[in-house]
Amino acid sequence: MHESIERLVQAERGRVVATLRRLTGDLDSAEDAVSDAIVEALEQWPRRGIPERPAAWLTTVARRRALDRVRRESSRGDRERVAQLAATLAEEPDPLPWSTIRDDQLRLVFTCCHPALNPDARVALALRTICGLTTSEIARAFLAPDATVGQRISRAKAKIAATRIPYRVPTDAELPQRLPAVLAVVDVVLTTGHHAPVGDDLVRVDLLATATWLARLLVELLPDEAECAGLLALCLSTAARAPTRIGPDGDPILLAEADRSRWDADATAEAVALLERSLRRGTPGPFQVRAAISCLHSLAPDVESTDWPQVVELYRMLDGMTPTVAVRVNRAVAEAQLHGAPAGLAVLEAISERPEAQSWHLYHAVRAELLRRSGETSGAADALATAHGLATNPSDRRLLDERLRALGTEA
Amino acid sequence: MPQFAALIYEAPRPTPDAPDFAAYMQGYMDFGERAGTAVVGGAALLGPETATTLEVRGGADGDLVQTDGPYAETKEFLGGFYLLEAEDLDGAVALARHIPAASDGGRVEVRPLMPM
Repeated sequence: MHESIERLVQAERGRVVATLRRLTGDLDSAEDAVSDAIVEALEQWPRRGIPERPAAWLTTVARRRALDRVRRESSRGDRERVAQLAATLAEEPDPLPWSTIRDDQLRLVFTCCHPALNPDARVALALRTICGLTTSEIARAFLAPDATVGQRISRAKAKIAATRIPYRVPTDAELPQRLPAVLAVVDVVLTTGHHAPVGDDLVRVDLLATATWLARLLVELLPDEAECAGLLALCLSTAARAPTRIGPDGDPILLAEADRSRWDADATAEAVALLERSLRRGTPGPFQVRAAISCLHSLAPDVESTDWPQVVELYRMLDGMTPTVAVRVNRAVAEAQLHGAPAGLAVLEAISERPEAQSWHLYHAVRAELLRRSGETSGAADALATAHGLATNPSDRRLLDERLRALGTEA
Repeated sequence: MPQFAALIYEAPRPTPDAPDFAAYMQGYMDFGERAGTAVVGGAALLGPETATTLEVRGGADGDLVQTDGPYAETKEFLGGFYLLEAEDLDGAVALARHIPAASDGGRVEVRPLMPM
Protein backbone atom coordinates (compact mmCIF):
# COMPACT_ATOMS: atom_id res chain seq x y z
CA MET A 1 0.00 0.00 0.00
CA HIS A 2 2.67 2.45 1.04
CA GLU A 3 4.80 1.63 -1.98
CA SER A 4 1.92 2.12 -4.40
CA ILE A 5 1.16 5.49 -2.81
CA GLU A 6 4.77 6.54 -3.29
CA ARG A 7 4.61 5.54 -6.95
CA LEU A 8 1.37 7.44 -7.42
CA VAL A 9 2.79 10.54 -5.77
CA GLN A 10 5.92 10.40 -7.90
CA ALA A 11 3.83 10.15 -11.07
CA GLU A 12 1.78 13.21 -10.11
CA ARG A 13 4.70 15.22 -8.80
CA GLY A 14 5.73 16.86 -12.09
CA ARG A 15 2.22 18.02 -12.82
CA VAL A 16 1.88 19.67 -9.41
CA VAL A 17 5.36 21.26 -9.60
CA ALA A 18 4.39 22.73 -12.98
CA THR A 19 1.38 24.52 -11.54
CA LEU A 20 3.21 25.68 -8.43
CA ARG A 21 6.07 27.05 -10.54
CA ARG A 22 3.62 29.30 -12.36
CA LEU A 23 2.06 30.47 -9.08
CA THR A 24 5.24 31.06 -7.07
CA GLY A 25 7.40 32.35 -9.90
CA ASP A 26 10.40 30.12 -9.22
CA LEU A 27 11.24 26.47 -9.41
CA ASP A 28 12.81 26.07 -5.97
CA SER A 29 9.81 27.49 -4.11
CA ALA A 30 7.55 25.28 -6.22
CA GLU A 31 9.53 22.13 -5.40
CA ASP A 32 9.69 22.99 -1.69
CA ALA A 33 5.92 23.46 -1.51
CA VAL A 34 5.27 20.23 -3.41
CA SER A 35 7.68 18.33 -1.15
CA ASP A 36 5.70 19.60 1.86
CA ALA A 37 2.47 18.38 0.25
CA ILE A 38 4.01 14.98 -0.52
CA VAL A 39 5.08 14.54 3.11
CA GLU A 40 1.48 15.21 4.15
CA ALA A 41 0.14 12.80 1.54
CA LEU A 42 2.45 9.99 2.65
CA GLU A 43 1.30 10.60 6.22
CA GLN A 44 -2.44 10.92 5.61
CA TRP A 45 -3.28 8.71 2.62
CA PRO A 46 -2.33 5.37 4.19
CA ARG A 47 -4.72 6.13 7.08
CA ARG A 48 -7.57 7.95 5.34
CA GLY A 49 -7.33 6.43 1.87
CA ILE A 50 -6.20 7.93 -1.42
CA PRO A 51 -8.29 10.96 -2.40
CA GLU A 52 -10.45 10.71 -5.50
CA ARG A 53 -8.28 13.22 -7.36
CA PRO A 54 -4.75 12.85 -5.99
CA ALA A 55 -3.17 15.58 -8.16
CA ALA A 56 -5.85 18.12 -7.20
CA TRP A 57 -5.38 17.22 -3.53
CA LEU A 58 -1.61 17.67 -3.80
CA THR A 59 -2.02 20.97 -5.66
CA THR A 60 -4.40 22.37 -3.05
CA VAL A 61 -2.11 21.43 -0.17
CA ALA A 62 1.02 22.62 -2.00
CA ARG A 63 -0.62 26.00 -2.62
CA ARG A 64 -1.32 26.40 1.08
CA ARG A 65 2.23 25.41 1.97
CA ALA A 66 3.66 27.81 -0.62
CA LEU A 67 1.74 30.66 1.00
CA ASP A 68 2.89 29.55 4.47
CA ARG A 69 6.48 29.57 3.30
CA VAL A 70 6.27 33.01 1.71
CA ARG A 71 4.62 34.35 4.86
CA ARG A 72 7.38 32.89 7.03
CA GLU A 73 10.14 34.28 4.85
CA SER A 74 8.48 37.67 4.57
CA SER A 75 8.60 38.38 8.29
CA ARG A 76 11.77 40.10 7.13
CA GLY A 77 9.78 42.53 5.06
CA ASP A 78 8.72 41.32 1.61
CA ARG A 79 4.98 41.93 2.20
CA GLU A 80 4.41 42.66 -1.44
CA ARG A 81 5.27 39.10 -2.39
CA VAL A 82 2.88 37.66 0.21
CA ALA A 83 0.07 39.89 -0.97
CA GLN A 84 0.77 39.04 -4.59
CA LEU A 85 0.82 35.27 -4.05
CA ALA A 86 -2.27 35.42 -1.83
CA ALA A 87 -4.12 37.38 -4.51
CA THR A 88 -3.04 34.98 -7.27
CA LEU A 89 -4.13 31.99 -5.20
CA ALA A 90 -7.49 33.57 -4.42
CA GLU A 91 -8.11 34.02 -8.16
CA GLU A 92 -7.16 30.44 -9.07
CA PRO A 93 -10.05 28.04 -9.54
CA ASP A 94 -9.80 24.92 -7.38
CA PRO A 95 -9.63 22.33 -8.86
CA LEU A 96 -7.91 23.67 -11.97
CA PRO A 97 -9.41 23.08 -15.41
CA TRP A 98 -7.56 20.58 -17.62
CA SER A 99 -6.45 23.28 -20.06
CA THR A 100 -4.58 25.11 -17.28
CA ILE A 101 -2.95 21.91 -16.02
CA ARG A 102 -1.87 21.07 -19.56
CA ASP A 103 -0.41 24.55 -20.18
CA ASP A 104 1.41 24.46 -16.84
CA GLN A 105 3.03 21.16 -17.76
CA LEU A 106 3.96 22.40 -21.20
CA ARG A 107 5.56 25.50 -19.67
CA LEU A 108 7.64 23.27 -17.41
CA VAL A 109 8.70 21.03 -20.31
CA PHE A 110 9.82 23.96 -22.45
CA THR A 111 11.63 25.64 -19.55
CA CYS A 112 13.56 22.48 -18.62
CA CYS A 113 14.47 21.91 -22.28
CA HIS A 114 15.34 25.52 -23.11
CA PRO A 115 18.12 25.75 -25.73
CA ALA A 116 20.04 28.22 -23.53
CA LEU A 117 20.68 25.38 -21.02
CA ASN A 118 23.50 22.87 -21.33
CA PRO A 119 22.13 19.71 -23.04
CA ASP A 120 23.19 17.38 -20.19
CA ALA A 121 21.55 19.73 -17.71
CA ARG A 122 18.32 19.72 -19.74
CA VAL A 123 18.09 15.95 -19.45
CA ALA A 124 18.82 15.95 -15.71
CA LEU A 125 16.44 18.83 -15.01
CA ALA A 126 13.64 17.25 -17.04
CA LEU A 127 14.01 13.88 -15.31
CA ARG A 128 14.08 15.60 -11.92
CA THR A 129 11.21 18.07 -12.29
CA ILE A 130 8.94 16.52 -14.93
CA CYS A 131 9.40 12.81 -14.17
CA GLY A 132 10.06 13.25 -10.45
CA LEU A 133 13.22 11.11 -10.42
CA THR A 134 15.58 11.80 -7.53
CA THR A 135 19.08 13.14 -8.13
CA SER A 136 20.64 9.78 -7.23
CA GLU A 137 18.25 7.91 -9.54
CA ILE A 138 19.38 10.16 -12.39
CA ALA A 139 23.01 9.72 -11.37
CA ARG A 140 22.59 5.94 -11.45
CA ALA A 141 20.88 6.09 -14.85
CA PHE A 142 23.76 7.95 -16.49
CA LEU A 143 26.49 6.56 -14.23
CA ALA A 144 27.51 10.02 -13.18
CA PRO A 145 28.42 10.92 -9.59
CA ASP A 146 25.48 12.24 -7.51
CA ALA A 147 27.34 15.49 -6.92
CA THR A 148 27.79 16.09 -10.66
CA VAL A 149 24.10 15.60 -11.38
CA GLY A 150 23.11 17.74 -8.40
CA GLN A 151 25.43 20.48 -9.61
CA ARG A 152 24.08 20.30 -13.16
CA ILE A 153 20.54 20.69 -11.88
CA SER A 154 21.31 23.54 -9.50
CA ARG A 155 23.38 25.40 -12.12
CA ALA A 156 20.57 25.08 -14.63
CA LYS A 157 18.06 26.37 -12.10
CA ALA A 158 20.35 29.28 -11.26
CA LYS A 159 20.68 30.16 -14.93
CA ILE A 160 16.91 29.98 -15.42
CA ALA A 161 16.45 32.43 -12.56
CA ALA A 162 19.35 34.79 -13.39
CA THR A 163 18.71 35.08 -17.13
CA ARG A 164 14.93 34.96 -16.75
CA ILE A 165 14.31 32.01 -18.98
CA PRO A 166 10.58 32.55 -19.37
CA TYR A 167 7.93 30.17 -18.03
CA ARG A 168 5.66 30.01 -21.01
CA VAL A 169 4.60 27.86 -23.91
CA PRO A 170 6.29 28.95 -27.17
CA THR A 171 4.01 30.48 -29.77
CA ASP A 172 3.07 28.41 -32.82
CA ALA A 173 5.66 30.38 -34.79
CA GLU A 174 8.42 29.53 -32.29
CA LEU A 175 7.43 25.89 -31.83
CA PRO A 176 9.37 24.45 -34.81
CA GLN A 177 12.56 25.97 -33.32
CA ARG A 178 11.87 24.92 -29.77
CA LEU A 179 10.36 21.44 -30.12
CA PRO A 180 13.55 19.65 -31.32
CA ALA A 181 15.31 20.39 -28.00
CA VAL A 182 12.39 18.82 -26.12
CA LEU A 183 12.32 15.73 -28.33
CA ALA A 184 16.13 15.46 -28.05
CA VAL A 185 15.89 15.17 -24.25
CA VAL A 186 13.55 12.20 -24.57
CA ASP A 187 15.80 10.76 -27.28
CA VAL A 188 18.81 10.81 -24.92
CA VAL A 189 16.82 8.92 -22.28
CA LEU A 190 15.60 6.42 -24.90
CA THR A 191 19.01 5.89 -26.49
CA THR A 192 20.72 5.45 -23.12
CA GLY A 193 18.06 2.91 -22.15
CA HIS A 194 18.39 1.02 -25.42
CA HIS A 195 22.18 0.81 -25.42
CA ALA A 196 23.84 2.02 -22.23
CA PRO A 197 27.34 3.28 -23.06
CA VAL A 198 28.75 2.06 -19.72
CA GLY A 199 27.71 -0.11 -16.79
CA ASP A 200 26.79 -3.74 -16.29
CA ASP A 201 23.38 -3.53 -17.94
CA LEU A 202 23.38 -2.96 -21.68
CA VAL A 203 19.62 -2.37 -21.72
CA ARG A 204 18.03 -0.14 -19.08
CA VAL A 205 14.34 -1.05 -18.98
CA ASP A 206 13.65 1.69 -16.43
CA LEU A 207 14.98 4.35 -18.81
CA LEU A 208 13.00 2.93 -21.72
CA ALA A 209 9.89 3.20 -19.54
CA THR A 210 10.76 6.79 -18.53
CA ALA A 211 11.32 7.80 -22.16
CA THR A 212 7.99 6.24 -23.16
CA TRP A 213 6.26 8.02 -20.28
CA LEU A 214 7.73 11.39 -21.33
CA ALA A 215 6.90 10.84 -25.00
CA ARG A 216 3.33 9.91 -24.05
CA LEU A 217 3.06 13.11 -22.05
CA LEU A 218 4.25 15.13 -25.06
CA VAL A 219 1.67 13.47 -27.33
CA GLU A 220 -1.01 14.27 -24.78
CA LEU A 221 0.15 17.90 -24.50
CA LEU A 222 0.87 18.50 -28.21
CA PRO A 223 -1.54 16.17 -30.01
CA ASP A 224 -1.09 17.95 -33.36
CA GLU A 225 2.69 17.51 -33.58
CA ALA A 226 3.47 14.54 -35.82
CA GLU A 227 7.05 14.26 -34.52
CA CYS A 228 5.81 13.79 -30.94
CA ALA A 229 3.71 10.85 -32.15
CA GLY A 230 6.74 9.58 -34.09
CA LEU A 231 8.86 9.75 -30.95
CA LEU A 232 6.29 7.83 -28.89
CA ALA A 233 6.03 5.20 -31.64
CA LEU A 234 9.83 4.87 -31.61
CA CYS A 235 9.87 4.48 -27.80
CA LEU A 236 7.10 1.85 -27.85
CA SER A 237 8.62 -0.14 -30.67
CA THR A 238 12.10 -0.04 -29.13
CA ALA A 239 10.80 -1.08 -25.72
CA ALA A 240 8.77 -3.88 -27.36
CA ARG A 241 11.99 -5.60 -28.42
CA ALA A 242 13.91 -4.90 -25.19
CA PRO A 243 13.20 -8.32 -23.58
CA THR A 244 15.33 -10.09 -26.19
CA ARG A 245 18.16 -7.59 -26.45
CA ILE A 246 20.25 -9.37 -23.83
CA GLY A 247 20.70 -13.04 -23.06
CA PRO A 248 20.57 -14.69 -19.62
CA ASP A 249 24.34 -14.17 -19.33
CA GLY A 250 23.92 -10.40 -19.83
CA ASP A 251 25.46 -10.46 -23.30
CA PRO A 252 23.79 -8.75 -26.25
CA ILE A 253 21.68 -10.82 -28.65
CA LEU A 254 21.72 -9.75 -32.28
CA LEU A 255 18.47 -8.84 -33.98
CA ALA A 256 18.92 -11.86 -36.26
CA GLU A 257 19.09 -14.28 -33.33
CA ALA A 258 16.33 -12.80 -31.15
CA ASP A 259 13.34 -14.94 -30.11
CA ARG A 260 10.72 -12.77 -31.75
CA SER A 261 7.83 -14.51 -29.98
CA ARG A 262 8.92 -12.66 -26.84
CA TRP A 263 8.46 -9.22 -28.38
CA ASP A 264 5.59 -7.15 -27.02
CA ALA A 265 3.07 -7.32 -29.88
CA ASP A 266 0.62 -4.91 -28.18
CA ALA A 267 3.27 -2.20 -27.87
CA THR A 268 4.25 -2.72 -31.52
CA ALA A 269 0.60 -2.49 -32.59
CA GLU A 270 0.20 0.79 -30.70
CA ALA A 271 3.38 2.13 -32.33
CA VAL A 272 2.16 1.19 -35.81
CA ALA A 273 -1.25 2.79 -35.22
CA LEU A 274 0.36 6.01 -33.94
CA LEU A 275 2.70 6.12 -36.88
CA GLU A 276 -0.02 5.55 -39.46
CA ARG A 277 -1.98 8.46 -38.00
CA SER A 278 1.03 10.79 -37.82
CA LEU A 279 2.23 9.98 -41.36
CA ARG A 280 -1.19 10.99 -42.70
CA ARG A 281 -0.43 14.56 -41.57
CA GLY A 282 2.19 14.74 -44.30
CA THR A 283 4.87 16.33 -42.10
CA PRO A 284 7.56 13.65 -41.98
CA GLY A 285 10.52 14.09 -39.66
CA PRO A 286 13.43 12.06 -38.32
CA PHE A 287 11.49 10.53 -35.42
CA GLN A 288 8.70 9.30 -37.66
CA VAL A 289 11.26 7.79 -40.04
CA ARG A 290 13.18 6.12 -37.21
CA ALA A 291 9.92 4.78 -35.79
CA ALA A 292 8.95 3.42 -39.20
CA ILE A 293 12.27 1.56 -39.49
CA SER A 294 11.90 0.23 -35.96
CA CYS A 295 8.32 -0.93 -36.64
CA LEU A 296 9.38 -2.71 -39.85
CA HIS A 297 11.84 -4.75 -37.75
CA SER A 298 9.28 -5.41 -35.03
CA LEU A 299 6.66 -6.58 -37.53
CA ALA A 300 8.90 -9.00 -39.46
CA PRO A 301 8.71 -12.66 -38.42
CA ASP A 302 12.45 -13.06 -39.09
CA VAL A 303 15.44 -11.21 -40.57
CA GLU A 304 15.02 -12.66 -44.08
CA SER A 305 11.41 -11.58 -44.45
CA THR A 306 12.10 -8.04 -43.19
CA ASP A 307 11.07 -5.47 -45.79
CA TRP A 308 14.70 -4.51 -46.56
CA PRO A 309 13.98 -2.39 -49.66
CA GLN A 310 11.69 -0.26 -47.51
CA VAL A 311 14.21 -0.14 -44.63
CA VAL A 312 16.96 1.02 -47.01
CA GLU A 313 14.66 3.63 -48.53
CA LEU A 314 13.83 4.97 -45.04
CA TYR A 315 17.51 5.08 -44.02
CA ARG A 316 18.34 7.07 -47.15
CA MET A 317 15.55 9.48 -46.25
CA LEU A 318 16.84 9.73 -42.67
CA ASP A 319 20.38 10.29 -43.93
CA GLY A 320 19.07 13.25 -45.91
CA MET A 321 17.38 14.72 -42.82
CA THR A 322 20.05 14.01 -40.19
CA PRO A 323 23.35 12.95 -41.80
CA THR A 324 24.96 11.72 -38.56
CA VAL A 325 27.56 8.98 -38.30
CA ALA A 326 25.09 6.78 -36.38
CA VAL A 327 22.54 7.01 -39.20
CA ARG A 328 25.24 6.25 -41.77
CA VAL A 329 26.43 3.14 -39.92
CA ASN A 330 22.88 1.81 -39.60
CA ARG A 331 22.23 2.59 -43.23
CA ALA A 332 25.37 0.65 -44.19
CA VAL A 333 24.03 -2.44 -42.39
CA ALA A 334 20.71 -2.19 -44.22
CA GLU A 335 22.33 -1.57 -47.63
CA ALA A 336 24.59 -4.58 -47.07
CA GLN A 337 21.58 -6.73 -46.24
CA LEU A 338 19.85 -5.70 -49.48
CA HIS A 339 22.71 -5.21 -51.95
CA GLY A 340 25.58 -7.17 -50.37
CA ALA A 341 28.53 -6.31 -48.12
CA PRO A 342 30.46 -4.16 -50.69
CA ALA A 343 27.48 -1.78 -50.93
CA GLY A 344 27.53 -1.39 -47.16
CA LEU A 345 31.29 -0.81 -47.14
CA ALA A 346 30.88 1.93 -49.73
CA VAL A 347 28.47 3.75 -47.43
CA LEU A 348 30.98 3.51 -44.57
CA GLU A 349 33.85 4.65 -46.80
CA ALA A 350 32.11 8.00 -47.29
CA ILE A 351 32.35 8.78 -43.56
CA SER A 352 35.72 7.16 -42.84
CA GLU A 353 37.38 10.56 -42.36
CA ARG A 354 34.91 11.79 -39.75
CA PRO A 355 36.39 11.76 -36.22
CA GLU A 356 33.00 10.71 -34.71
CA ALA A 357 33.21 7.59 -36.88
CA GLN A 358 36.86 6.85 -36.07
CA SER A 359 36.22 7.08 -32.32
CA TRP A 360 33.00 4.99 -32.30
CA HIS A 361 33.36 1.27 -31.62
CA LEU A 362 30.21 0.41 -33.60
CA TYR A 363 31.58 1.99 -36.78
CA HIS A 364 34.59 -0.33 -36.61
CA ALA A 365 32.53 -3.34 -35.50
CA VAL A 366 30.14 -2.97 -38.43
CA ARG A 367 33.02 -2.39 -40.82
CA ALA A 368 34.71 -5.55 -39.50
CA GLU A 369 31.58 -7.61 -40.10
CA LEU A 370 31.18 -6.29 -43.66
CA LEU A 371 34.89 -6.90 -44.42
CA ARG A 372 34.52 -10.45 -43.07
CA ARG A 373 31.55 -11.08 -45.33
CA SER A 374 33.58 -9.75 -48.27
CA GLY A 375 36.32 -12.26 -47.43
CA GLU A 376 38.83 -9.65 -46.23
CA THR A 377 39.73 -11.49 -43.04
CA SER A 378 42.84 -9.56 -42.01
CA GLY A 379 41.15 -6.18 -42.52
CA ALA A 380 38.23 -7.49 -40.48
CA ALA A 381 40.55 -8.55 -37.64
CA ASP A 382 42.19 -5.10 -37.55
CA ALA A 383 38.82 -3.36 -37.46
CA LEU A 384 37.58 -5.69 -34.69
CA ALA A 385 40.65 -4.96 -32.60
CA THR A 386 40.09 -1.22 -33.02
CA ALA A 387 36.42 -1.65 -32.05
CA HIS A 388 37.42 -3.64 -28.97
CA GLY A 389 39.78 -0.89 -27.86
CA LEU A 390 37.05 1.73 -28.14
CA ALA A 391 34.08 -0.14 -26.59
CA THR A 392 33.28 1.01 -23.05
CA ASN A 393 30.46 -1.38 -22.15
CA PRO A 394 31.71 -4.77 -20.85
CA SER A 395 28.95 -6.67 -22.74
CA ASP A 396 30.01 -5.01 -25.99
CA ARG A 397 33.61 -6.01 -25.32
CA ARG A 398 32.65 -9.63 -24.64
CA LEU A 399 30.73 -9.78 -27.91
CA LEU A 400 33.68 -8.34 -29.81
CA ASP A 401 36.03 -10.84 -28.12
CA GLU A 402 33.85 -13.67 -29.33
CA ARG A 403 33.86 -12.36 -32.88
CA LEU A 404 37.63 -12.01 -32.83
CA ARG A 405 37.92 -15.66 -31.73
CA ALA A 406 35.44 -16.79 -34.40
CA LEU A 407 37.41 -14.87 -37.02
CA GLY A 408 40.59 -16.63 -35.88
CA THR A 409 39.10 -20.05 -36.50
CA GLU A 410 37.78 -18.91 -39.88
CA ALA A 411 41.18 -17.71 -41.07
CA MET B 1 12.37 46.10 -17.15
CA PRO B 2 15.36 43.73 -16.91
CA GLN B 3 18.48 44.65 -18.86
CA PHE B 4 20.76 42.42 -20.86
CA ALA B 5 24.17 43.09 -22.38
CA ALA B 6 24.63 41.79 -25.91
CA LEU B 7 28.40 41.41 -26.38
CA ILE B 8 29.35 41.58 -30.02
CA TYR B 9 32.17 39.26 -31.08
CA GLU B 10 33.12 40.19 -34.60
CA ALA B 11 34.94 38.19 -37.16
CA PRO B 12 37.46 40.52 -38.90
CA ARG B 13 35.72 43.86 -39.41
CA PRO B 14 36.00 45.78 -42.72
CA THR B 15 38.21 48.89 -42.61
CA PRO B 16 36.54 52.25 -43.43
CA ASP B 17 38.05 52.27 -46.95
CA ALA B 18 36.90 48.71 -47.76
CA PRO B 19 34.09 48.43 -50.32
CA ASP B 20 31.83 46.50 -47.91
CA PHE B 21 32.23 49.00 -45.06
CA ALA B 22 29.05 50.91 -45.95
CA ALA B 23 27.01 47.71 -45.93
CA TYR B 24 28.60 46.74 -42.60
CA MET B 25 27.64 50.08 -41.02
CA GLN B 26 24.18 49.91 -42.53
CA GLY B 27 23.62 46.54 -40.79
CA TYR B 28 24.15 48.15 -37.39
CA MET B 29 22.00 51.17 -38.28
CA ASP B 30 19.24 48.77 -39.30
CA PHE B 31 19.57 46.94 -36.02
CA GLY B 32 19.31 50.21 -34.08
CA GLU B 33 16.17 51.09 -35.96
CA ARG B 34 14.63 47.66 -35.47
CA ALA B 35 15.42 47.49 -31.74
CA GLY B 36 14.26 51.10 -31.17
CA THR B 37 13.83 52.01 -27.52
CA ALA B 38 14.88 48.54 -26.40
CA VAL B 39 18.47 49.76 -26.85
CA VAL B 40 19.26 51.69 -23.68
CA GLY B 41 23.01 51.92 -24.08
CA GLY B 42 26.11 50.46 -25.61
CA ALA B 43 29.34 51.30 -27.34
CA ALA B 44 31.44 50.31 -30.30
CA LEU B 45 35.11 49.66 -29.58
CA LEU B 46 38.15 50.33 -31.74
CA GLY B 47 39.80 47.17 -33.05
CA PRO B 48 41.77 44.58 -31.05
CA GLU B 49 45.02 46.02 -32.44
CA THR B 50 44.39 48.98 -30.10
CA ALA B 51 43.87 46.76 -27.04
CA THR B 52 46.14 46.73 -24.01
CA THR B 53 45.70 43.95 -21.46
CA LEU B 54 46.93 44.60 -17.96
CA GLU B 55 47.54 42.56 -14.89
CA VAL B 56 48.77 43.60 -11.45
CA ARG B 57 51.02 40.87 -10.07
CA GLY B 58 51.51 40.35 -6.36
CA GLY B 59 48.38 41.97 -4.92
CA ALA B 60 46.64 45.30 -5.52
CA ASP B 61 49.84 47.29 -4.91
CA GLY B 62 51.98 44.90 -6.93
CA ASP B 63 53.68 45.30 -10.26
CA LEU B 64 51.65 46.42 -13.24
CA VAL B 65 52.26 44.31 -16.32
CA GLN B 66 50.86 45.60 -19.60
CA THR B 67 50.60 43.45 -22.69
CA ASP B 68 49.85 44.50 -26.21
CA GLY B 69 46.68 42.93 -27.58
CA PRO B 70 43.34 41.61 -26.33
CA TYR B 71 43.00 39.24 -23.35
CA ALA B 72 41.92 36.30 -25.47
CA GLU B 73 43.69 36.01 -28.83
CA THR B 74 40.97 34.51 -31.05
CA LYS B 75 39.68 35.08 -34.53
CA GLU B 76 36.58 36.78 -33.09
CA PHE B 77 37.13 39.84 -30.92
CA LEU B 78 34.89 41.90 -28.67
CA GLY B 79 33.85 44.70 -30.98
CA GLY B 80 31.30 46.42 -28.80
CA PHE B 81 28.10 45.84 -26.90
CA TYR B 82 24.49 46.88 -26.63
CA LEU B 83 22.50 47.28 -23.44
CA LEU B 84 19.06 45.93 -24.21
CA GLU B 85 15.84 45.99 -22.26
CA ALA B 86 13.76 42.83 -22.47
CA GLU B 87 11.18 40.96 -20.38
CA ASP B 88 13.20 37.74 -20.34
CA LEU B 89 15.95 35.80 -22.09
CA ASP B 90 13.71 34.89 -25.03
CA GLY B 91 12.95 38.59 -25.54
CA ALA B 92 16.65 39.52 -25.40
CA VAL B 93 17.57 36.72 -27.82
CA ALA B 94 14.78 37.72 -30.19
CA LEU B 95 16.38 41.19 -30.43
CA ALA B 96 20.03 40.14 -30.38
CA ARG B 97 19.66 37.66 -33.22
CA HIS B 98 19.35 40.67 -35.54
CA ILE B 99 22.75 42.11 -34.57
CA PRO B 100 24.81 41.70 -37.79
CA ALA B 101 27.67 39.86 -36.03
CA ALA B 102 25.27 37.00 -35.20
CA SER B 103 24.82 36.15 -38.88
CA ASP B 104 28.04 37.33 -40.57
CA GLY B 105 30.48 34.83 -39.07
CA GLY B 106 30.83 36.41 -35.63
CA ARG B 107 28.93 35.65 -32.42
CA VAL B 108 26.74 37.52 -29.98
CA GLU B 109 26.83 36.66 -26.27
CA VAL B 110 23.80 37.67 -24.21
CA ARG B 111 24.10 38.16 -20.45
CA PRO B 112 21.79 39.59 -17.84
CA LEU B 113 23.05 42.65 -15.96
CA MET B 114 23.69 42.09 -12.28
CA PRO B 115 20.73 43.64 -10.47
CA MET B 116 21.93 46.61 -8.35
